[in-house]
Amino acid sequence: MWLEKKLKKCFTHKPYKMDKKKIARVTSFRYQILALIFILLAGGLVLLPKYQKQEGIKSEALLSHATSPERYISTDQIANKIINKDPSFILIDVREEESFKNYSLPNAINIPLAKLFDEESLPYLNQSQFDVVFFSNDHFYADQAWMLCNRRGFKNLRVLNGGLNTWFTTIINPEKPSQDMPAEAFELYATRKASSMYFGVFYPDQQAVAEESISNTPAPKKVITVQKKKKKPVEGGC
Amino acid sequence: MKELEKIKRISIASTLFILAVLIGVLTFERPKNMYAFNTENTLETLTTTSYLISMDELDKNNSVLIDVRSQYEYEKGHLENAINMALPEILTEENQLILNDLKDGKTMVVYGKNVQEANMPFLMLYQLGFTNIKLLSVKLDYLQNKLIVSKEEVEKPVSNIQDFINESVKNSKKPIVLEKVKAEPKRVITVQKKKKKPVEGGC
Repeated sequence: MWLEKKLKKCFTHKPYKMDKKKIARVTSFRYQILALIFILLAGGLVLLPKYQKQEGIKSEALLSHATSPERYISTDQIANKIINKDPSFILIDVREEESFKNYSLPNAINIPLAKLFDEESLPYLNQSQFDVVFFSNDHFYADQAWMLCNRRGFKNLRVLNGGLNTWFTTIINPEKPSQDMPAEAFELYATRKASSMYFGVFYPDQQAVAEESISNTPAPKKVITVQKKKKKPVEGGC
Repeated sequence: MKELEKIKRISIASTLFILAVLIGVLTFERPKNMYAFNTENTLETLTTTSYLISMDELDKNNSVLIDVRSQYEYEKGHLENAINMALPEILTEENQLILNDLKDGKTMVVYGKNVQEANMPFLMLYQLGFTNIKLLSVKLDYLQNKLIVSKEEVEKPVSNIQDFINESVKNSKKPIVLEKVKAEPKRVITVQKKKKKPVEGGC
C-alpha cells in the first residue's frame, strides 16, 4: 500500500526533489541490468561450438570438382601441345627429385609433393597466366596435388591422365596395331610414332632421316617466367 | 517526464536488440561438412604416414570396407561386408551419419575400381576429419562375371623411359636387318558335312 502510494506520487505528481533522486537511481540501475543481459548474451557466444576457420573452397564444391573428370588431359593432347610449342601451360612434375633428374617431360618443373606449398613453388601454382598440368608416374600423386591446390582455389589446374606410365605406353613406345585393326588405329600409331621421334626415340627404319635431324631432337628449353604477386601490406582493421 | 520518456525509449530499443540477437541465434544454421584439417596438415600426413594398406594387411575383424564405386558396380560384385558409398554421395546426410558412427573405432578402408579411383574419396574424408581411414591398394577386374581382386602397386614406373630412349638410339646405329615375313602355313579345317536326310513326310 505504501509503495503504491509512493509510485502513484512518482507518476502522477510533478516530481519533486526526492522523486527525482529516486528516478535517477532507478535509471542507473536499469543500465546495469541491461549491461548484465548483454554480458550474459556475450557469454553465450563462448558456449557456441568452436569452428576452425575454414581454408579454401567449401567441401561440397571440392567434391563436385573431384567427381568431374574434366581435369584430366590425355597424353596425346600434351604431346601435341609440346610439339606445337604451345606457350599456354606449364608442366609440374610432383615426383621425387631423383626420378625427375632421370627422366621428365621437356621443360617440366620439379615440385615434389612434399614441397607443394613451399614458398618458392607457390608462384608457379597460384597464378592465372598458365594452365598447370600435374604429372607423376601414375596420376595418383598428381591427383593429390590437384586436390589440395584446388581446395586452395588455384585456377587452371589439370592432371596428366595416366601420368608418365601412359606417356611411355602411348607416346614413347606406342603399340603397333595389328593387321585387323581399323585405319584409325594406324593413323594414331603414325602420329604417335612421329611424336616419339620428336621426343628422342629412334627407329631403325628412320635412320636416313635421323642423320640429318640428330642435332635438333631435344626439345628446346623454354624459360617460364611467372609474375610474382606483390604482397600487400597488412591492412588495419577497424 | 523527459527522463521517463528517455528510459522508455532505451528499454524499447534494448528489447528490440535482444530480440534480434535471439532470432539470430535461433536461426543460426551450423555449416555442414566442415574440414578438420587444412591443406598443409593434410599434405604433411600424406607425405609422412603410410595410408596405403594391401589386401594381406587388412584386418577383417577390425575394419569396415567402404566401396566408392557406383551402386550398379557394387551390386555386380563387391568385397565381403563392404558398404556402398559412391563418390558423389559421400557428403549426404545419410552417409555422414554412417561415417560418424564409424569415426571412433574400426578402421575405415576405402577401395574402388583401382587405387586412383579411391584416392579422391579417401582424401576428401581425411580432410573432413576421419583420421582412422586407409586406402586399399587393390584393383578389381571381372573374369566371366566373377570379381577378381589383384594387388596394385601405386606409382610404380612401368619402364625406365630414359633407358628406353637411349637403347633406341643405340639400336638405330645397327644396320637394318630386314626380317623376312614367313607366311603362315594355311590351316586346313575339315568340317564334316551333314548328310542330307530323305524328306520325311508330314502328317
